[in-house]
Amino acid sequence: MDRKATLKREDGLWMLRRMRLIRQTSERIARLYPTNVMETPVHLCIGQEAVSVGLCRHLRDADKMFLGHRTHGPALAKGLPLPKLMAELYGRTTGCSHAFGGSMHLIDLEHGLPGSSAIIGGSIALGCGAALAAQLGKNDYVGVSYFGDAATNAGVFYESMNFAALRKLPVLFLCEDNGYSNVMPKSAHSAHDIVSVARQFMTTLQADGTDVLSVYEHTGEAVAQLRRGEGPVFLHCATKRWMKHQGHEACDIVDNGIDRERDCPIRKLEAFLLKSRLITPAELAQIEQAVEAEIDAAIQFAESSPFPDPSLLEVS
Amino acid sequence: MPWSRFDSNYEAPAGARDITYCAAIREAIDQAMCLDPRVFCIGLDADDKFGVFGSMSNLTHPERVLGTPISENAMTGVALGAALSGMRPIHVHLRNDFLLVAMDQIANYVAKWQDMFDHQVKVPLVIRSIIGRGWGCGAQHSQSLHGLFAQIPGLKVVMPSSPYDVKGLMLSAVKDDSPVLFLEHRWLYKNTGNVPEAMYTLPIGKAATLRRGGSLTVVATSLAAIHALKACEQQELDVDLIDPRTIKPLDLDTILASVHRTGRLLVVDYDFPFAGFASEVVAAVCERAHESLRQPPQRLCFPDRGMPSSGRLERAYYPTPERIGELMRQMILGSSIDADSFVN
Ligand SMILES: Cc1ncc(C[n+]2csc(CCOP(=O)(O)OP(=O)(O)O)c2C)c(N)n1
Repeated sequence: MDRKATLKREDGLWMLRRMRLIRQTSERIARLYPTNVMETPVHLCIGQEAVSVGLCRHLRDADKMFLGHRTHGPALAKGLPLPKLMAELYGRTTGCSHAFGGSMHLIDLEHGLPGSSAIIGGSIALGCGAALAAQLGKNDYVGVSYFGDAATNAGVFYESMNFAALRKLPVLFLCEDNGYSNVMPKSAHSAHDIVSVARQFMTTLQADGTDVLSVYEHTGEAVAQLRRGEGPVFLHCATKRWMKHQGHEACDIVDNGIDRERDCPIRKLEAFLLKSRLITPAELAQIEQAVEAEIDAAIQFAESSPFPDPSLLEVS
Repeated sequence: MPWSRFDSNYEAPAGARDITYCAAIREAIDQAMCLDPRVFCIGLDADDKFGVFGSMSNLTHPERVLGTPISENAMTGVALGAALSGMRPIHVHLRNDFLLVAMDQIANYVAKWQDMFDHQVKVPLVIRSIIGRGWGCGAQHSQSLHGLFAQIPGLKVVMPSSPYDVKGLMLSAVKDDSPVLFLEHRWLYKNTGNVPEAMYTLPIGKAATLRRGGSLTVVATSLAAIHALKACEQQELDVDLIDPRTIKPLDLDTILASVHRTGRLLVVDYDFPFAGFASEVVAAVCERAHESLRQPPQRLCFPDRGMPSSGRLERAYYPTPERIGELMRQMILGSSIDADSFVN
């Protein structure tokens, strides 16, 4: 498909801004994390921004997305306001989960994020539940189950796909495949090919998860099928995790195949937008600066927000 | 059978030195694997470079350490099937919370297999799991749930507090022909203590008295026992501190004998309060030693709600040695206080 002919400037800019928001926020978190201002385990999404952003450009606030432990990117892409994320990481009452959830448990009801779980696998079923509710209630929203490659090892993955296919649920199975489960490569945790397995159950699409336009195109197709009521879709996005599984350090797995120049989703989009004359170099710089300012403001908001009072723990 | 020299009155050999709780676990597992080729370890990340927080690093038989996918329920069944086929698996989990994914296999299969077939089979399976907390781990990565597991007939639940206990009880668990759930608190891993180098076993179902005193009986396990001990030392309290070490089977005799002497009972339990281990101890003592009690027994547990993540709330959520000490002091000194104030 000729992307230049089809991509609208506003879509391109939106995706660039969101990816920059995720990238720059993650980089700021990585810088601040060693100072212990955020007492919560962080699973950063640097390098993986294209997946959630390409996806969310096609989602509405009413669409309900369920996440696992690697939350920041998809939550920001879906619309979680940055100050609410930062305040949650800082353990303040103004955080999206009021200081009870931390990094792995984010919620934003206004933007279709009914919560995220740190036990691998289980939340895949929840996306199907949202889709079932849409179907039963004759609502036109869709459910999204957002998970990593290793979650396909859990039985709940198969059980959920089977049920979704049987009932033709409007649910998107979004597999953000970064090739690793912590330090375990996919070859060590999966004998199966994820895409072939998914094909047994439903329409299955494959996107380049380091290229936001690829994810965007395929999601468009997937979401259109869901909204037509033609049953669930599986979207596989192959991407790369630049950081360690958890924490602020760069991934130290030897032979991880990461080339930060070649694989950077932001550089790819920027290059495309420049080449297509959808953006100017000056605008690129402006976006980067505006995002920095947004992050400064969010951190200031978090730092000046109150800590929760221990009386909140009292059980009535 | 290689285990025959470890009968119940086998004496721990001399030759002890100070090692960490973590090293004591590692040594027990390594020795068990060297002694008996049927012993193998299996679990998610069991074979990675971190070696289960160091508790399985550099084992002599890495070929018997198997990593698994994130498939806890099926892997529990795999371990059970292997145990029923003559192996002695040690299935390890990095967090207790992950055990819940395997609850069907644990509660319906592992725990019940012997009762269902009138004990015609042996189930020599150890399920090792680590209790985490802190750093905003939150509600799904900080649970202990030993009370829940102990409620299921057919499971032994062991939770040692010291390096000496953890080695001896780990070897007993591997030697045992019935399933044992072996719970290790992550915060104990760096603690050091005197541990014999040679193999020894400690009886499952026998409490240890960590401190002798006459005014108050305190029952606590695992990290709670260490915190209670610290509280006694800080506040110089006349406390009889009992660490049951295994909560199922429970050494009630030791607890009852103590309560008969002190007339007061406090259970410090790092688990949820409702229908939990602390409730069980209090109920058993009320049933059997009611006449000895000079005041209502008390429980100090977690609040009856999921763990919060903010550091501020975490620090308020978890009991501390200071809070334990304060409560002990109140119970000992304030026995004239109106009983109502003990109902919370
Ligand atoms: C049931 C369960 N078992 C183990 C874990 C520990 N754990 C946390 S993240 C993770 C790896 C997950 O990999 P994947 O699903 O591919 O997502 P990624 O981290 O790569 O985004 C594991 C094993 C867990 N959270 N839940």
